Amino acid sequence: MIRHHPDKNLLLEYASGSLARGPSLVMAAHVQMCPDCRSQYHTLNSLGGALLSQSPAQPLQANAFECLMTRIDQIPDKNGRQVKSDSDASQATKKDPAFDNLPRVLCKLLAKNPAHSWKNVSRALQVCRVRTGQGDYEVSFHRLRSGAKLPEHDHRGQEFAVVLNGSFSDHYGIYGAGDFVFRGPGQIHRPIATQDKDCLCFSAVAAPVAITGISGLLLNPLIPFRPG
Amino acid sequence: MQVGTQRDRQAFERVFRRFAPLIKGFHHSRSTQALNSETADELVQEVMLKVWHKAPSFDRGKASASTWIYSIMRNCRIDMLRRNQRHRHRDGDIDVADIWDETLESQPLLFLQQKRNERDIADGLRALPAEQSHILEKAYMEGKSHSEISEELRLPLGTVKSRVRLAMKKLQARFVR
Repeated sequence: MIRHHPDKNLLLEYASGSLARGPSLVMAAHVQMCPDCRSQYHTLNSLGGALLSQSPAQPLQANAFECLMTRIDQIPDKNGRQVKSDSDASQATKKDPAFDNLPRVLCKLLAKNPAHSWKNVSRALQVCRVRTGQGDYEVSFHRLRSGAKLPEHDHRGQEFAVVLNGSFSDHYGIYGAGDFVFRGPGQIHRPIATQDKDCLCFSAVAAPVAITGISGLLLNPLIPFRPG
Repeated sequence: MQVGTQRDRQAFERVFRRFAPLIKGFHHSRSTQALNSETADELVQEVMLKVWHKAPSFDRGKASASTWIYSIMRNCRIDMLRRNQRHRHRDGDIDVADIWDETLESQPLLFLQQKRNERDIADGLRALPAEQSHILEKAYMEGKSHSEISEELRLPLGTVKSRVRLAMKKLQARFVR
C-alpha cells in the first residue's frame, strides 16, 4: 500500500514536461508503481489534450503535409519492427533480491547504465551513481542495510526519491515500496531502515546533503556531488 | 484509427489537417510565443511523423486522439530542447517515452473512466477563471516550471501553486461524483 505521493503541483510539472529530467526519472518510477498517481497523470495528459484542441489553429507552410509524406516514404516503416523486450537490468543486479520488481523506467536505465560501481559510504550505506545525461541532479541508488541508522542530515537542495524495496522511517513517517519522498532545505531527518530487509531507494538530488552537528563540520566538505 | 490498422494515407491526412495547425498554435500564436514559427513548424513535422509510426498502438476506446497526440508532442518537445543542450551523453541516455509514458491505460475500468473524464476536463477548462487557466497555459504550452512562472508573473510561488491546485480541484470536481 503506497501512502506517500508527490503533490499535484509536482505531478503537473511532470506531465506538462516542465520538470527537469533528474526528478522526472523519480516521478516516472513512482507513477509506474502507483495506480493512483498513474490515473492523475492520465488526467493531466487529458488536460494537455484539452489545451491542444482548444489552441488557436495556425497556418503551416503550404507543402507541410507533402514534405512529411516524402519523409515517411524515405524511411522504412517501423510498424512491423519488433520492440525489444524488457530483458534488462545488468547481471550484477539481476540476482539481487533488492532489485526485484523494479519499475520499467529503472530497468531501462540499468540496461543502458549497469549499476556496478557501488561505493560503501559506511557499513550501513552503499551508493551507486547512475549517469542520466543531464547536468543538474545527482541521480543514484541508495542501499541501506536492514536496521541501518543514517546520520541526521539536512538538504542543501531539493531531494526527490522513491523507495523500491524494503522500508525506512524518519520522524516524518514510514516509507515502503513505491512511496515517494520529497525533502527540501530545512527538512532535517535521520532515516532508519527497518530490520526485516535491506532498503533500496532511487533518488535525484540538486545539491549534496549536509550532516548536522559537529561531525558535519568535518564531513560535509568531503561529501562528493557529481550531477549527470 | 484507420491510420494505424490500414496505413490509410487519406485518414492520416485528415488527422494532419486537424491537428498539425493546433500543434503549431499550441507553441506559436498571438498569445503564446513558446517557440518561433520555424521551430514550431519543425516540431509539427516531428510530432506527426511519430503519430504516423505509433498509430498502430492507438486505441480510441481508451483515450481521445488529442490526449494521445498531446503526450507524443510533449515528448517530442522534450527531445527537441534536449538536442540543443550541452549536458548530453549518449551513453546512459534512455528514450524519452521511457520517462514520460505515452502508452494508454490497459485496465478497462480505468481507461473507461478516464475517457469519460476527458469531456469534463475540456468543458471545465473553458470555465476556469483566467488567472488559473493562464498559469496552466504557461506550464503546458511554454513548458515553464512553477518557480519560472512565479518569477515571470511576479507572483509568490505559493500563489502559483495554489492556483494550480484550485484549477485541478475544479476540473476534477466535475467527474468525482
